[in-house]
Amino acid sequence: MGEPRFAVGDRVRTSTVDPPHHTRLPRYARGQVGEVVEVQGCWPLADDRARGLSDPRVEPVYTVRFPAEALWGPPGGHWVQVELWESYLEGAT
Amino acid sequence: MSGQHTNSEIAVRVRRLEERLIGAGLTSDDELDAIIGQVTSGSPANGARVVARAWVDPGYRERLLADGNAALAELGFSMSTGPQPQRFTVVENTPTRHNVLVCTLCSCYPIALLGPSPSWYKSEAYRARVVREPRAVLAEFGLELPADTEIVVHDTSAESRHMVLPMRPAGTEGLSEEELARLVTREGLIGTAAV
Amino acid sequence: MARVHDVGGQTGFGPVPPVEEDEPPFHADWEARVYALNVAMLRRGVYNLDQFRDAIERMPPAEYLAASYYERWLHAVETLTADKAGDG
Repeated sequence: MGEPRFAVGDRVRTSTVDPPHHTRLPRYARGQVGEVVEVQGCWPLADDRARGLSDPRVEPVYTVRFPAEALWGPPGGHWVQVELWESYLEGAT
Repeated sequence: MSGQHTNSEIAVRVRRLEERLIGAGLTSDDELDAIIGQVTSGSPANGARVVARAWVDPGYRERLLADGNAALAELGFSMSTGPQPQRFTVVENTPTRHNVLVCTLCSCYPIALLGPSPSWYKSEAYRARVVREPRAVLAEFGLELPADTEIVVHDTSAESRHMVLPMRPAGTEGLSEEELARLVTREGLIGTAAV
Repeated sequence: MARVHDVGGQTGFGPVPPVEEDEPPFHADWEARVYALNVAMLRRGVYNLDQFRDAIERMPPAEYLAASYYERWLHAVETLTADKAGDG
């Protein structure tokens, strides 16, 4: 388990991949750019634990905020915050 | 309740499963009874006590917002009786921001503190709709928010569990902490009511 | 995995069920027993919570949607303990 790659305020892009196993990235938040609002600490990756891996990756989890309009189009008007493991995320400029 | 099957059919199935697992040495009637006792000791009243304390004690409110687990421990509560250790965080409603909680993927909820979640929270309708049209969903609960109140929907997709700290209602200055706690509803702690 | 449980943002589900006044923690004894069986199996390490969620998510979509919440739990516990014999 390394240092968190991202910090509060960073813009991140979520994976577009639909993995062939259990994951905790909701479909509505795939391939979206959001802002990190909280760095939560490290947790064993749900995807690995669900597959019964004996040595699951332990990764930082981030609270990432998305504007509703980006997720579903107008009118939006609210925020959605989702809690995402680091491997669901890449940096976004 | 049950989907396609009658309660009695399912009850028989559950009893058979129980007998098989007890027979396999994996649990016991005593253990099962103890687990049920433990989960039913969680209730919204616990959350209400936390809220009332935060309303009367600004220092506690700050500590609650900074570290929910530690603040729970101050009042003798814990999130460690659930299936696995969970980080507990509290999100505060303000005149300009209203928070509402959901778990779209399954129904994660701070069971260890508040007991089992209400049926409406577990419904597909709630899980599907509140992330997308929170104002309409809150209106169904009878909660109309001013247009300039920002709404933040929190999808509990990882290992943290959350609770809303509602705003203290106006005109409650004279109430005791116990009386304040009685104002707090389960819906208020999730964000589908003002308090 | 793009399964039916991932309902965030989906439409067509209709109104949210109303608040039940004084709703009990469980609506039937069997629900409480299923809850307890799951916790007991988790504690004993028969499976973990993510495997439990995965088992629910693998239900055929029509079954998942027709099942009540604790019926889904029951399905998962049964599936994950199918190899545990009762005569041990």
